[in-house]
Amino acid sequence: MANEKKEFNYGLYAVSVFAIVTVAILIITLFTFKSKYIAFDAEKVAVNYVDSIVQKGDGYNAYKNTLVSKNSKYGDFIREQYMNPVIYPEYKVGEGTDGLKGYNDESYMSDKTKNDDGSLAGQLADEMYVYYVQLLETYGWDDYDSFFKNYFAKLAEVRQGIFGDEYLSDEVMFTALEANVASYGDSLTGTEAVTDEKSGVTTGEDTVGFYQTAFGEDYKISESIKNVEALNVDAYKTSLDAEMLKTYNVSADDITEAVAVTVDVVLEDGTAIAQLTVNEVKIGNSWYVDNTNADTSALYPALAK
Amino acid sequence: MAKTKTASADASSNAPAEKKYMKPSEIVTFGIGLFGVALLTGWMPDYTATFFADFAFKGKGFDTSTMSNVISTVFLVAGFVGAVCELIIGYLVDRTKTKFGKVKPWVGFGVIPLAIISILVFVAPNTNSQTMAIIWMFVVYSLYTAISCAVESPSNCFGSLCSPNPSERSSAISIASFLRSVGQSGGMVVIMVAGIIMKALMGKQQYKNAEAQGLDLVISTAVCAVGLILFTMIFFANNKERVPFTQEKVSIKDSIKVVFGNKNLLMVSLTKLTGCGRGVYGTVSLYIAIYLLGSKDLKLALLLPMGIGTAVGTLLVNFVLKKFSTKKTYILFCIYGACSLAILYLVSSKIGFNDTLIIPFLIINFFCGLQHGNTNTTPNIMIADCVDEIEYKTGKRQDGIAYAGYGLFSKVASALTKGLGPWLLYTWSQYQVSTDANVAYVDQSDTTLNRLLMIYTIIPAVFVLLQAVPILFYDNVGEKKARITATLQERRAAENADNAAE
Repeated sequence: MANEKKEFNYGLYAVSVFAIVTVAILIITLFTFKSKYIAFDAEKVAVNYVDSIVQKGDGYNAYKNTLVSKNSKYGDFIREQYMNPVIYPEYKVGEGTDGLKGYNDESYMSDKTKNDDGSLAGQLADEMYVYYVQLLETYGWDDYDSFFKNYFAKLAEVRQGIFGDEYLSDEVMFTALEANVASYGDSLTGTEAVTDEKSGVTTGEDTVGFYQTAFGEDYKISESIKNVEALNVDAYKTSLDAEMLKTYNVSADDITEAVAVTVDVVLEDGTAIAQLTVNEVKIGNSWYVDNTNADTSALYPALAK
Repeated sequence: MAKTKTASADASSNAPAEKKYMKPSEIVTFGIGLFGVALLTGWMPDYTATFFADFAFKGKGFDTSTMSNVISTVFLVAGFVGAVCELIIGYLVDRTKTKFGKVKPWVGFGVIPLAIISILVFVAPNTNSQTMAIIWMFVVYSLYTAISCAVESPSNCFGSLCSPNPSERSSAISIASFLRSVGQSGGMVVIMVAGIIMKALMGKQQYKNAEAQGLDLVISTAVCAVGLILFTMIFFANNKERVPFTQEKVSIKDSIKVVFGNKNLLMVSLTKLTGCGRGVYGTVSLYIAIYLLGSKDLKLALLLPMGIGTAVGTLLVNFVLKKFSTKKTYILFCIYGACSLAILYLVSSKIGFNDTLIIPFLIINFFCGLQHGNTNTTPNIMIADCVDEIEYKTGKRQDGIAYAGYGLFSKVASALTKGLGPWLLYTWSQYQVSTDANVAYVDQSDTTLNRLLMIYTIIPAVFVLLQAVPILFYDNVGEKKARITATLQERRAAENADNAAE
């Protein structure tokens, strides 16, 4: 043992192993991050954006990769811009809700609200769904401003009719809206009843979706990049709506690149069913879909029928 | 009498027990080494289950029911691989004879493949074949289990080799065990800090998008793997093995024979099997934090009171052991543990899953943690007593075989826990996995939430009671134990006198 240190340099071994293994782990981690995190790649961002809308008609969640979500959580953006003005009568956009009394206060809850086992909340979502589809046909998700304003105003009205009180919280609003988004997706894809093998209990029901009627029961939709075109970034920045960018806490000066990515939407047999050109801007190392000039109407075949 | 020979030492086994052999820094770096190993191995099982279930093959359209069942089986199989490896590694460690000692090479060199395989567990192949995905999960996690066993088991053995002075050795083991416990919860701090940094660098929504792909888990694993290397290298460079080790042939057959041949050792070992489900709470702790307490970040807050409770419980057990026998202490703590978990269930059900639950839940969680001090301490004392009993009966002191046998039961029990936990979570509780690339965790039904709570409380409580059953047949206490101790002392004194005469 006494000669051990002379024969084997523990310090050098320890430092070498630490350095080499750390570099190896770093490389593996960076590789994984780059392959999974889509915002580093303009093409992946475009495909993800189009896929979200095409597969389930989900223009709502598609905003999670757009300029709207550059500096704040998408949910927080909706709260601040559209929910709080409905919940708090004295709320001003850009200011906090501290000290404000809103309809989310428990004093506004009726017994129906307090004792609801979920069935009235379900009824609310069902009644709002009809209006959701109307808004989708009238404005589409591209005009999210009109969509949110009208949807939440109607939600407050419908909820009051069902529950008999003025209570309203962001949770109530998100629950109904996201249930409608999911239902719309189901109307496109169809649903299957699932029977638990052990209990024999069946949940859900068999429905035929729009896509199944239009493209066949086992349809498969996929997206591929057709073209990527670099845009003149200075000209592009000038064309942007500065006021709208301000809403997102984004400055045009932060944009370093702009591209137009054309995405083809095809069925498994190669039949083209839609095409969309998505404009994207690069801020820092990440790409964002520029939602300020997006027109995704071509991706809603169910609405164009 | 068994013939033994000194294979490696820089101190005599006849040295005065009072003499201090370790530098103060060695005691600390021994603990740092165990902290580093536990930082990774404590992190991996739960988060691997989460990664496999929620993120590894997200959006691939694989059958969720099949995947849920497969994940349970992956952990079950990996656990049995670990059990076999436990014996094989123990067998190989006893035959390792190098200038570094017999344990240090396993730790110092083994951490390199361990760090690499750990990060590879979180790099799922981009395949559309469910069969390929399943094969990959079995292979990569079994590999991880085998390699982690080759590092973790020897690192735990180091305590018995660090000093020939039993008192000094006990102090070192005690400090190291404490740091190891801290390390086991360290991964939760890592994921919390990683989340904060990622949010700051990427923005909240982009962080959510990355989280929805499980990238926070990948980064946290990388940090834990780097921590493993850093801390074990400090240990490797600073610590020495100082106890002469004997080289006796240890076979799997011998191991099983000793464990099954001694009733008391068998009973202590069986507690691992009858109590195998008490650890399933770990599988759902993340989901308890998300769904019942409202935030993933609360997993740390959730397990921290339990960790503190465990540390306090260790002190409490030492106090109780001065008043009662090991048998009574063990049973007492088991009854207490089951009651505390039942109270946690009742209080949570009564309050409901909302913000009001957080504080009472965390407080009761602390009291639930006290029982773990018992399961961490008392069986080890019982095993030492059993080794005395075996020596008393056969004339052979077989610490290694007893340890390997007990380790075998631990690994089998761990495999059962790891198989049972995911099955309870993903199948029995009817947990719904998110299929949306932008959403990490979807809403769950009331039935599922209630079952998650049961997996955290009632089910472990049942197993806590079951683990006390074999101890009812344990009899190495009181007069019998005193007789064995006295006889062994007489034998050793006589042996020393013979040696002196020669």
